[in-house]
Amino acid sequence: MREWLKSRTGFEAIWKALFERAIPEAKGPVAWLYVLGSASLFVFIVQFTTGCLLAMSYAPTPDHAYDSVRFISDQVLAGRLVRGLHHWGATFMVVLVALHFSRVYFMGAYKFPREATWITGVCLLLLVLGFSFTGYLLPWDQKAYWATAVGTNIAAQAPVIGPSVAAVLKGGEEMGAATLTRFYAFHVLVLPALTALLIACHLFLVIWHGITEPPAREEDGAGDRRL
Amino acid sequence: MNDAHDDGLIRKAIGVLGALIMAVLGSAGLGFLLSPLVQKRDEGWVDVGPADAFKPGTPVQIQFVERTRDSWSVTEKRSSAWVLALDNGQITVFDPRCPHLGCPFRWNILDKRFQCPCHTAAFAADGAVISGPSPRALDRFESKIEDNRLLILPRPTQGHS
Ligand code: HEM
Ligand code: FES
Repeated sequence: MREWLKSRTGFEAIWKALFERAIPEAKGPVAWLYVLGSASLFVFIVQFTTGCLLAMSYAPTPDHAYDSVRFISDQVLAGRLVRGLHHWGATFMVVLVALHFSRVYFMGAYKFPREATWITGVCLLLLVLGFSFTGYLLPWDQKAYWATAVGTNIAAQAPVIGPSVAAVLKGGEEMGAATLTRFYAFHVLVLPALTALLIACHLFLVIWHGITEPPAREEDGAGDRRL
Repeated sequence: MNDAHDDGLIRKAIGVLGALIMAVLGSAGLGFLLSPLVQKRDEGWVDVGPADAFKPGTPVQIQFVERTRDSWSVTEKRSSAWVLALDNGQITVFDPRCPHLGCPFRWNILDKRFQCPCHTAAFAADGAVISGPSPRALDRFESKIEDNRLLILPRPTQGHS
């Protein structure tokens, strides 16, 4: 079976490139900083899975959104757990991505030749924030409604194009049914598709360039090259 | 088909056709996304009947059904308003809620004034405060007459000073 796969798919080369590549030999607590990207990826997969499940019982209309969310929490088997995972995963995702971002920044890992990795990373950060913004509205309770009212009003404050941006976000002059379907479409279709695409680019670049060594102090010997 | 000339031509043709397809699909998609910017707004004028049915001088209360549209969903709500016709044919429409705390006021036929049952606010026929706790004159609804039909916009504009 393994031989057959090997001869028909070339998966061995892919497996080697993905999992048997050279990585920095960081030791001690510093090594943990390198898990943050993979941890972000893991939480993204959790969000994707729990999101698919939630979408099976969620109705994105003003008449039913709130009740369908209540239904998930109160009636669906393990609904409270799945919803809780998605809820806390959303917060955790932002935290992890911010930490990952910080590690890359403070280790200077964004520098030449990894600029493209950094840029795809910044886009991923924006997408993650987009998930937070659009997902927050979906329960359609008071908190959700007014947070989005504030968010879209902030957009409306931008000079010249502000009101148009807000109208496109809201799907009309007022928040309502069109806002909910719009946010839903972005949350479950547009953003996941873009994010998956960008994660693929991001990871390709990470593997392509290899991962940066932890920065070393001069007395560690790294500065010797200056001699 | 193998020589460089033909090859270039085909590439160009594919490029042009591709750009054309992208332009058509792209602008359709963009239009869909930006449609909130060009949607015509349903202002919400309600036809409440022939304009000459109102006897000048005496306010009457009218009942009507107000439809609010939220994209595809329409909600109907029973509403009312007070209509005052003047001798010169002008019509004023009042919000039926007292500007104090929102109680429905009435027209007192004997004293010829609006009276609120809640905290005794009283208003003249033109809506001006006569007495009581109301902070301002009666709120008005915008109205217009088209082909002898009275149209009103049942959203309060602040009462005149
Ligand atoms: C959905 C969010 C993200 C995922 C799933 C993700 C995933 C990963 C993974 C698995 C790695 C391997 C190295 C490591 O884990 O430290 C990595 C590296 C990297 N990431 Fe991200 N990342 C995300 C967001 C970001 C953001 C927001 C930035 C910065 C703007 C960023 C910039 C980088 C850079 C420059 C590297 C290369 C680091 C090196 O070579 O040492 N990433 N990413
Ligand atoms: S509500 Fe009319 S007087 Fe207070």
